[in-house]
Amino acid sequence: MAEGGAARSAPVLAVRDLKTYFHQDEGVVRAVDGASLEVHAGRTLGIVGESGCGKSVTARSILRIVERPGRIEGGSILLARQNGSGVRETVDLALLAPTSHEMRAIRGRDIALIFQEPMTSLSAYYTVSNQIVEAIRQHSPLDKRAARRRAIELLAMVGIPRPERRIDEYPFQLSGGLRQRVMIAMALACEPRILIADEPTTALDVTTQAQILDLLRRLQRERGLAIILITHDMGVIAEMADEVVVMYLGRVVERGPVDQIFHAPKHPYTKALLRSIPSILATPRDRLTTVSGSIPHPYDRPPGCPFHPRCPDAIAGRCDRETPQMTTTPDGNAVSCFLYREAGAGSA
Amino acid sequence: MTLLEVVELRKSFPIRKGVLLRTAGEVRAVDGVSFQIKKGETLSLVGESGCGKTTVSRCIVRALKPTAGAIRFRVGDAEPMDIAMVPKRELKRLRRHMQMIFQDPFSSLNPRMAIGDIIGEPLLVNGMKSRAERRERVRELLELVQLPAAYMTRFPHACSGGQRQRVGIARALALHPSLIVADEPVSALDVSVQAQIVNLLLDLQDRLGLSYLFVAHDLSVVKHVSDRVAVMYVGKIVEIAATKSLFARPRHPYTEALLSAVPKPDPRLRAQRIILQGEVADPAHPPNGCYFHPRCPYAIERCRTEAPALAQMAPGHVASCHRAAELSLSGVAGAS
Repeated sequence: MAEGGAARSAPVLAVRDLKTYFHQDEGVVRAVDGASLEVHAGRTLGIVGESGCGKSVTARSILRIVERPGRIEGGSILLARQNGSGVRETVDLALLAPTSHEMRAIRGRDIALIFQEPMTSLSAYYTVSNQIVEAIRQHSPLDKRAARRRAIELLAMVGIPRPERRIDEYPFQLSGGLRQRVMIAMALACEPRILIADEPTTALDVTTQAQILDLLRRLQRERGLAIILITHDMGVIAEMADEVVVMYLGRVVERGPVDQIFHAPKHPYTKALLRSIPSILATPRDRLTTVSGSIPHPYDRPPGCPFHPRCPDAIAGRCDRETPQMTTTPDGNAVSCFLYREAGAGSA
Repeated sequence: MTLLEVVELRKSFPIRKGVLLRTAGEVRAVDGVSFQIKKGETLSLVGESGCGKTTVSRCIVRALKPTAGAIRFRVGDAEPMDIAMVPKRELKRLRRHMQMIFQDPFSSLNPRMAIGDIIGEPLLVNGMKSRAERRERVRELLELVQLPAAYMTRFPHACSGGQRQRVGIARALALHPSLIVADEPVSALDVSVQAQIVNLLLDLQDRLGLSYLFVAHDLSVVKHVSDRVAVMYVGKIVEIAATKSLFARPRHPYTEALLSAVPKPDPRLRAQRIILQGEVADPAHPPNGCYFHPRCPYAIERCRTEAPALAQMAPGHVASCHRAAELSLSGVAGAS
């Protein structure tokens, strides 16, 4: 496997200490509360977590499409790109205005996004052709006929049979799997270097999911795409990711290479999550190990480490008061937990 | 003892066209499905969207009227009776013995009713007029699903997804049913909560001797809850077997492909998967022969013309594939 080398190159996207808050009448929801991550060309970063962990808001913050009253309150989103005249530069997306010309050029051309349910992101009133051709012409000087030819090429690339006929159909005439392929074709229309896939296969059946995951892997190989894969499904993460970020209530609790996360997890939440997933490898009628309690409501965020009320290893007087910082363990996982802070401080 | 026996169940929906809504054809959503569920047993019905698994479950609780076939259901120790064609008004008496648990705990609970009233409603409807008596039973039910009695006065919006699903389960159990039909009961829940509900369903079954018909697409969850599994493809059952046997040694190529497609939660098992080409056949225009042949990597000429029948491959293991006996299909290895 292509481990090592590529990871050490400069990241194409680095998020540092991102904070995205939603100010509402009832209080402030800290949807993302100090998340850091890096994405490298040709590799897949998996972001995993349960509902309300901030994984989707992180993606939306990167593209600057967080809906009001959400706002980026701190941190930086550093994108390495070539500007119009071919000079390499690093742009902090957190400082750009969401509606600025520059940000609009970055969306689609540098970073593209695909969603869970393609029907909600494709228009029901326009044919596939209308929608892809529009996306292509938005970002390139091609005329209508050339753009249509390009669109057919794209549909063929994502494995749509008879693309020259399918292109004139409406999204509702396509199956879920074909719609997701159309979404991917649109996302790749302007050859972005980073693809954010937010639960791209959650709405699909397993055999279709396998097809789409396979397609994403092939496109990554062919084009050196950096992929940010957001999912709640540990199986999909195990299949696809090179590096993994585990989030809980807006914070990254653990980060590391995929094999480490699955075979040597450090954070009590990562461990609990892995133990509680139903596995196809399990013995029939085996009870699952459960995490006690449930995810707190965003307004009742616990003080200290957000996981402490459910944590079997919580240290009274510590975890409920102080917020742990990220520490790197000897195995190369970064973990935000006092259990390891102690160990790290002792050996260092 | 067999609690439920479904024999050659069929349900078709008309395809209507034009302004006059003339019937232009029909979709055979369920096309001759047969299976049995014993007392205290869980049978899972799995398959991809549109395979007819939900239609089967809805026919069994008679939310839909079957087109043909028999549904023999045993109430207590009585002789089984065929409920497939029983008129609607006679169903009420039967319904208390079979209850449903739904997928979405957000839309299946009335937001204007307190939890106590939601759980108590089936009791009231079935003649438990005394408020005190109902209260007592609701308290028992809440305890059964491991919710504090104080939840009686709460409203659904004040509960988490997992708590709502517990309320749905308590309501289903109110009338001491013998069969629970659960349609994707954990697929809308977060993993950590999903595990709690799966365990609860297993515990309740052991305590109350319930039988479950578990309809699901997630084969990992299915492996955790089922005694036996039936795999459906385009309205037909293609394989039924004991859970262990089905997962370890599938006999139908579609089952093999399904098992292979499930992402395994271990990055060291990234293997060559079977990736099926094409899409599920359209039930309005199914292909000739075996419905699976256009996607089947093992299809031969015979599969294109002749539809296979279910045949016994091993004790309790049936599959409908012409080549079932000669193929050696791979399953998933167990953890132990």
